[in-house]
Amino acid sequence: MNFISRLFFVFKEGFLQLFRTSGLSTAVIVIVAATLLQLSLFLGISRVLDRALGSAREKFEMALFFTPSADASDRKRILGILSADPRVASVKVVPKEEAIQEFRKDPEIDRMLQALGENPLTDSFTVILRNDATENLNELVDQLKKDPKIEEVSYGKNEWETVSNLTHVARWVGLVLGGFVFLTALFIVSNTLSIALWARREDMVLLSRMGAPTWMRWGPYLWEGITQGFLGSLVVVAFLEAVRHGAGVALQKFGGFDLLLTLPSSEWWSLYLTLVFLGMILGALGAFLALQKKWVKELQ
Amino acid sequence: MIQAFHLTKVHSSGVKVLDDAYLSIPEGNFVAIIGESRTGKSTLLKMLGGEEKPTSGVLRIDHQDIYSLSTQEKHQWLSEVGMIFPDLRLFPDKTIQENIAFVLQVKGASGEGQEEAIGKLLNKAGLGSKAQAKPVDLSSGEQRMVLALRAMIFRPKLLLADDPFQGLDEKAAAVLFKFLLELNKAGSTIILSTQQMSFLGEAKKMAGEATIQWVQLDQGKLVPMEEA
Repeated sequence: MNFISRLFFVFKEGFLQLFRTSGLSTAVIVIVAATLLQLSLFLGISRVLDRALGSAREKFEMALFFTPSADASDRKRILGILSADPRVASVKVVPKEEAIQEFRKDPEIDRMLQALGENPLTDSFTVILRNDATENLNELVDQLKKDPKIEEVSYGKNEWETVSNLTHVARWVGLVLGGFVFLTALFIVSNTLSIALWARREDMVLLSRMGAPTWMRWGPYLWEGITQGFLGSLVVVAFLEAVRHGAGVALQKFGGFDLLLTLPSSEWWSLYLTLVFLGMILGALGAFLALQKKWVKELQ
Repeated sequence: MIQAFHLTKVHSSGVKVLDDAYLSIPEGNFVAIIGESRTGKSTLLKMLGGEEKPTSGVLRIDHQDIYSLSTQEKHQWLSEVGMIFPDLRLFPDKTIQENIAFVLQVKGASGEGQEEAIGKLLNKAGLGSKAQAKPVDLSSGEQRMVLALRAMIFRPKLLLADDPFQGLDEKAAAVLFKFLLELNKAGSTIILSTQQMSFLGEAKKMAGEATIQWVQLDQGKLVPMEEA
């Protein structure tokens, strides 16, 4: 009972302190909100890129062209190899007649084909690959290229790798910039909270002289930081909800938040939870660092 | 049990306020240290409260050197100590009732009937009507009385009272002294200091059968009053 009563004291005092130094509390909430707003852009764009990459993976396919000498038994043999491979999702047979129909849709190519007089294309397979097969395809490609009845194996490895690498770089740049923004905010938040601590240093001394345990002396300040972080994150969530529900166009000029509009609802909520968590961590860490200052320790 | 051997304190100004002093106070005793101002009474009480390290000597409370305790142990020990020190203050944003209840909460001693008990105590001190007032609405004497009540409400094992009657009128001082006697009767060890020699006679009368060790600080040494 007494422990619960003391815990209640920590929460109550932490909450009341928000109002006792309301100016400083507002400053911390604004700093947290500004930081999370920047981080939401990094996090959101990272998610948009992830989705784009995932979408590219879904469309990832390979084209396999046979030599003119390949016959039905060769196609059957290769189909057997591909069907047995775990990296292959499905195989579509494209006869050369069907392929040329596709080419003839372009009038320029059609004129060229008419000049040739005969169908220069060979039969081909369109191989749809599994999403997770993109990392380890060289072995399969090499095996197919060695087959004497296969003229060419074509797949968008380079394009996919470029997109993948760009996403990777973008994620790291976002992480470094986001980390830098977070650390800068942490520094500012902890120093702002130390000003609040300085204003209430006599209370800290009193608690210490009363023999209050460390968690009771620190608790209100940590809780205050967590609450400020939470409130800061709520400001950002409210802003992003406004963007999501139509204010995006009007807010375009304030930064690329409209980019996030392609995200589905579940991603938005996941982003909000991440922001709330980061806000609370920022507040708690800021308060913890403020409590580690030498002069604060000397008060105890 | 409080024991001090070869206790010496030299302030940074070079003034020696305690000089090879000895002290032995069994648990549950009431010790009153009488002396002029600037004779080291406050320094001695601060030492006993773990706030001023002796320059040399040993100070043991319940067989522990309080200056070698870890921070956690020190706070644990302090949770059993009540202090009435002039530099302590009330929380300005809390009511008188809340200020007193607060210490119970901090010390983990709050419980049912707490408000009623605080109300009774305030009534006995003549401050019943000020329970919901803020400290700023009280006179300095009333504030000092509330500080004393705050230090006594949780029945500390050890109560250190540095000049607790300062700023109190005779009637309030007598009420406070009565509270101290009751607390001592309930088992608390009490060490108080005062420079009000005029109070001595009245206090001796009030103490009646209660045993109070009267000690004087004389040239940095603690001397029983009979010998002083």
